[in-house]
Amino acid sequence: MATVDSTVRAGAPAARGADAGPAQPAGIGPYRLALRRLRRNKVALAFGALFLLIVVLCLCAPLYAAHVAHTGPNDNHVTETVKVGGVAKDVVSPTGQPIGPTWHGRFLLGADQNGRDIAVRLLYGGRNSLEVGGIATLVTMTLATIVGIVAGFFRGFVDGVLARMLDLIWAYPVVLLGIALGTSLALGGITIGPIALHGNSLLVPAFIIGVVYIPYVAKPIRGQVLGLREQEFVDAARVGGAGPLRIMWSEILPNVSSTLVVFVPLMIANAILLEAALSYLGAGVQPPNPSWGTMISDGIRLIPSAMHLTFVPGAMLVLAVLGINVFGDGVRDALDPRAKVRLEEHAEEASR
Amino acid sequence: MRVRTFGATAVAVALLTVAAGCGGGGSNNSTTSSGSSGGTAGGTATVLMGTAPDYLDPQLGYTTQSAEPDWIIYTPLLTYRHANGTSGGQLIPGLATALPTVSRDGLTYTLTLRRGLTYSNGTPVKASDFPYTIMRAIRVNWGGKSFYTNYIAGASAYDGGRASSISGIQADDATGRITIRLTQPYGAFANVLAFPSSGLVPRGTAMRNLSNTPPPGVGPYKYSSVSVNRGFTLTRNASFARFGIPNIPTGHLDTIRVTIVSNTQSEAQQVLNNQADVFDAGDTLPPSLLPQIESQASSRFARVPIPSTYYFFLNVTKPPFNNAKARQAVNMAIDREAMVRLASGFLKPTCWFLPEGIVGHPGNSVRCPYGTTPDLAAAKRLVQQSGTAGTAVTVWGEQRSPRREYVDYYTDLLNKLGFKAQERIVSDTVYFPTIGNAKTDPQTGFADWIQDFPNPSDFYLLMDGRSIQPTNNQNFSKVNDPHIQGELNRLNPVPATQLNSVANDWSTLDQYTASRAYVAVYGTETMPKFFSNRLDFGAAVFHPTYLNDWTSLQLR
Repeated sequence: MATVDSTVRAGAPAARGADAGPAQPAGIGPYRLALRRLRRNKVALAFGALFLLIVVLCLCAPLYAAHVAHTGPNDNHVTETVKVGGVAKDVVSPTGQPIGPTWHGRFLLGADQNGRDIAVRLLYGGRNSLEVGGIATLVTMTLATIVGIVAGFFRGFVDGVLARMLDLIWAYPVVLLGIALGTSLALGGITIGPIALHGNSLLVPAFIIGVVYIPYVAKPIRGQVLGLREQEFVDAARVGGAGPLRIMWSEILPNVSSTLVVFVPLMIANAILLEAALSYLGAGVQPPNPSWGTMISDGIRLIPSAMHLTFVPGAMLVLAVLGINVFGDGVRDALDPRAKVRLEEHAEEASR
Repeated sequence: MRVRTFGATAVAVALLTVAAGCGGGGSNNSTTSSGSSGGTAGGTATVLMGTAPDYLDPQLGYTTQSAEPDWIIYTPLLTYRHANGTSGGQLIPGLATALPTVSRDGLTYTLTLRRGLTYSNGTPVKASDFPYTIMRAIRVNWGGKSFYTNYIAGASAYDGGRASSISGIQADDATGRITIRLTQPYGAFANVLAFPSSGLVPRGTAMRNLSNTPPPGVGPYKYSSVSVNRGFTLTRNASFARFGIPNIPTGHLDTIRVTIVSNTQSEAQQVLNNQADVFDAGDTLPPSLLPQIESQASSRFARVPIPSTYYFFLNVTKPPFNNAKARQAVNMAIDREAMVRLASGFLKPTCWFLPEGIVGHPGNSVRCPYGTTPDLAAAKRLVQQSGTAGTAVTVWGEQRSPRREYVDYYTDLLNKLGFKAQERIVSDTVYFPTIGNAKTDPQTGFADWIQDFPNPSDFYLLMDGRSIQPTNNQNFSKVNDPHIQGELNRLNPVPATQLNSVANDWSTLDQYTASRAYVAVYGTETMPKFFSNRLDFGAAVFHPTYLNDWTSLQLR
């Protein structure tokens, strides 16, 4: 009994692939094996490093603001001047035109309509976008794992109720649902028991995004659990006296962990994108706090004369999402090489 | 009893004092739209608006976006001449046969309804529709209803549910005679009768918001379709021309299509490229397109100053702005030059509540009580002294540019002063109803006021304690100052024809208001008149209250 238990628990990714895929060298655990495969995927590692670099840069925003730009993300400098090539220039002209990139410390990437330093806002905006993306992913993964495992394990009435709730959320277009929730909660905030969030708290869009993506993770988990609960090792645990909670925690969860790991980068990328979309539409991060989405929105009306206001945050958004997505694909391939094979087969069939 | 008539000439003389700020932009000549200019009759024009009207119901609308169509769809008993500049402030008879006769004590106004009028749906217009219209404006809680409830006898009782009708209005359907009795003289009461909210609707019109299916009116145009928050269409009201009402043009275009474009960049670009015809004057041209517009479209673009006040309201009933020092600090710290830049130059800095062009404006020779250049250090000290530092402040604002930028700047300023400020940005369409709702009870935020009529009492509605109401409130600062109330009681009854005699009193009152820092005024607006080259730019009237006069639009 103990042997079965430990084998399955430790070998979560391999349990599904015991009869397929590359043979597992003796003495190497499945995660170490996945790491070895990931190391060989240079493209994934490069994009992972790119994402990591963006994260580090964004985390350094306060240092940049204090020691290089000497201004905060929301500090207005409308009537101030800055020296460019020894010449004093208006940060914002009398007709409202903001200064472009100076390519040195202050206003490195220029200013926005309110004379705020774009580079500082870009880094702080990145922090906000990544923070929202990270928290939203945490919310999604936690709730989706619980819902997916409980629904799949108990089946019947519990599954029926939870699955319908997931269908209900799924039935709404993600962006529309996000806008509806974001707009209403931005005014009143959220109060759940003792937890009260103000309308302009970053946790509000994080919570909204986390909730709207639950079905996208919970449904595949549920499907996987429906198969796992019929496996012998679950029966063995049940015969051994384990209750439902213990079985879900000790037997089921380890066996869906590789799926969860694959979902994490995907959900971070989706959450960052949705945050940008909601913020662009005014239902995400609330002004004057920057996020890449709000910065793009703010820059729209100056596109003809100050394209950098939209281009710079847009480029950062693309790079961050591309980085985490490609890295996520690499993680998926490393954890489940069959998935890549299946994808390639599908692609070949489609090309025929 | 001697009977006094509001003569057009007399009113015009009084309005001469208003001239200073109403000209400019090459469009302050006094041509009316009925003048021949060689344009083409008929056709369709597209008007773009950056913000949807607050309501399309005449008894609810109170923004420039709703006033523009309502003015030409719902003609009140009295209205304004369709002319540029100061001439546009001249009252003329609308559905009434003449300007009202006013009793010597200034308490009774008598008018007579024109005969043979019908609404756009064919229903005959009756004198009794007038009291019903006023009752409807009160019942649906129009933002300016205190103009009625403060002065018309019985209106307050009707508002409070203590009466089923307004005892002070008598209407005789047989003769068309309408008599209005006031509780106290109000010099600008004739102007109140010219509000679009006083525009007649048939008796029996539902006492609820009918913005989706606006009621019929009497005017050169009528609503033919409404798509909520997306746009609406006006078509010519064929029956109106038969009435032959002098000085109210019947319009040139057959159809005016109004489209809501939330992006002013796109709005301006479409007009610049002649894909649409009118850039709504209530919107601000994006700074990125301004040089292009001024160089490529100089023949169809003008900046027109309008008597208006742009300010941040400071709710005196809630911390921290129930503390005078906190309010003074805001006034002391605000950088009006910064606001001008945020407005792309379409703002003239001022600290006075009464704008240039309105009798009582203190003028540039009078020193602002808190200086004209910002003093952040002194303002911070004031906040410290007031003991309000660290107070959480929610700053309310609109989404559209540059109002969002104003609020961004203001929020940063409050944080620099030592408050803990955060923004709450609301959709433009619902902004004023939201902040005017007692349940919201906002601390501070953006507000503006464009003249309803050329009289300081119009602006001082916003400082009148009696105008505080539970919904659609306009006195956002909730000012209820005994000194202001006393002065309003003394100055409001002065007839429009004698306004100049009390100009100094209004000026003194405005200086008092500025010294009390009930609001933080930062500028008066210059508005864009910007058309496509399909329209006859020179013939189009830019009205000082209703902005682009759509009856004057005509294709080249």
